[in-house]
Amino acid sequence: MSEQMSHELVDELAAAFALGALDADEARAVAEHLASCQEPHEEARAALGASMALAMSLEPAQPSAGLRDRLMQTVERTPQPWLAAAPAPLQERPARARGWRDRLLPRLMVPLAAVAAVAVIALGVLNLNLQSQLADRDRALRAVADAIASGQAAFRVEGQDGRGYVVDTAGSGSTLVVADLTSLPADKLYELWLLDAAGTPVAVGTFRPSATEPAVVHVEKDLTGYTTFAVTVESQRVDSPTLPNGADSLVMVGAVGS
Amino acid sequence: MSDRSTPHEEALLAQRIQTGDREALGELYDQYASVALAVALRIVADRGQAEDLVHDSFVTVWEKIDRYDSARGSLRSWVLTIVRNRSIDRVRATRPGIEIGEADAQSLLQTDTNPTWDAAVARLGSAELRAAMATLPDEQREAIELAYFGGHTYREIAGIKGIAEGTANGRLRLGLAKLRSSLRLTDAAPGSGGTDQ
Repeated sequence: MSEQMSHELVDELAAAFALGALDADEARAVAEHLASCQEPHEEARAALGASMALAMSLEPAQPSAGLRDRLMQTVERTPQPWLAAAPAPLQERPARARGWRDRLLPRLMVPLAAVAAVAVIALGVLNLNLQSQLADRDRALRAVADAIASGQAAFRVEGQDGRGYVVDTAGSGSTLVVADLTSLPADKLYELWLLDAAGTPVAVGTFRPSATEPAVVHVEKDLTGYTTFAVTVESQRVDSPTLPNGADSLVMVGAVGS
Repeated sequence: MSDRSTPHEEALLAQRIQTGDREALGELYDQYASVALAVALRIVADRGQAEDLVHDSFVTVWEKIDRYDSARGSLRSWVLTIVRNRSIDRVRATRPGIEIGEADAQSLLQTDTNPTWDAAVARLGSAELRAAMATLPDEQREAIELAYFGGHTYREIAGIKGIAEGTANGRLRLGLAKLRSSLRLTDAAPGSGGTDQ
């Protein structure tokens, strides 16, 4: 059943879909309809997630002692395809911090190829109206390109509103580049935060999406001591921040490495 | 991390796994393995098989975490859906004429969730969730359990129970609506609270 479903049929089958009680073609058709349909489909969307209540209603069962070790041994010899296919690691910059950030670095070098692509796209778009109007932005993107060229660390930041990268431009702060942001109402903007291990947030910059340009935020603060990037939607710049913990306002997150 | 993570914590955990952090996968296992094993055990009714399924499901998470989209649903929902669908695949392999092998693809489809269910699961313990299930009329609870834990489509349920397909589907709809009501979930739900169609 690969043809499109009517709104009524999607609503009728929503409970069965949520409980995994449709055959594969029907389930695919319902999922595709709900993903693309502008109608509210309140009954259908109300059913989604019901299976979690069934799973969580069961009395938990303690796994045998060796299962975790077996899993870890399997994982140790199981490559993640996107990491296995990555190009050879770029040159590592001199260590500035110790601890888990250093352990993360080799893994976080992998997205550099994607960072390069984002930066190239960003620079290409920027060329549309480069010169005088966007001098600050140009400098920021050049810093990103230079950081990539010299093998400096880049960290992915992603979530429901888009994805991008932060490049640590050693000695001159860091730069966030996001190329596919969800648009916002005129009275809203995005806020970039840094959080330390205790979860204390510091607001470090605001930005807005554009249909033709990547969003670029230069962060002057040194990343040492911070563990997390977060992006929220705000109505105005927050000078005395308390980062909300709700999923509604936290639209992108990322881990800081060195 | 507590046993009921915030979306923020889950998003960070998923990202760490995606960057090759095996310790992060271990944390995910510590958090959800007992629930995952309960689901697998309920479906396959064999502890050895159930543990194999939990092991394989977490390996799948490791290998396919790049396909997980936190905007569509919780990491817990995805993990448990993988476990459930793989377990159903295992059971279906013993039934003639049943299509198998799409468990992981199905899991990605079925990860979509609804904040009200997430909130209920975060708020309530397993005993309270079981109590809510117990409020359902027998035929609705049985239909839901045949679907979720038995891996039967609503058409198969109709055949098993000797009822019309529309009736089987109706029992699933009404059962979920009543469950929502029992859990005091307040957003949209099917209108009727009747016992059958």
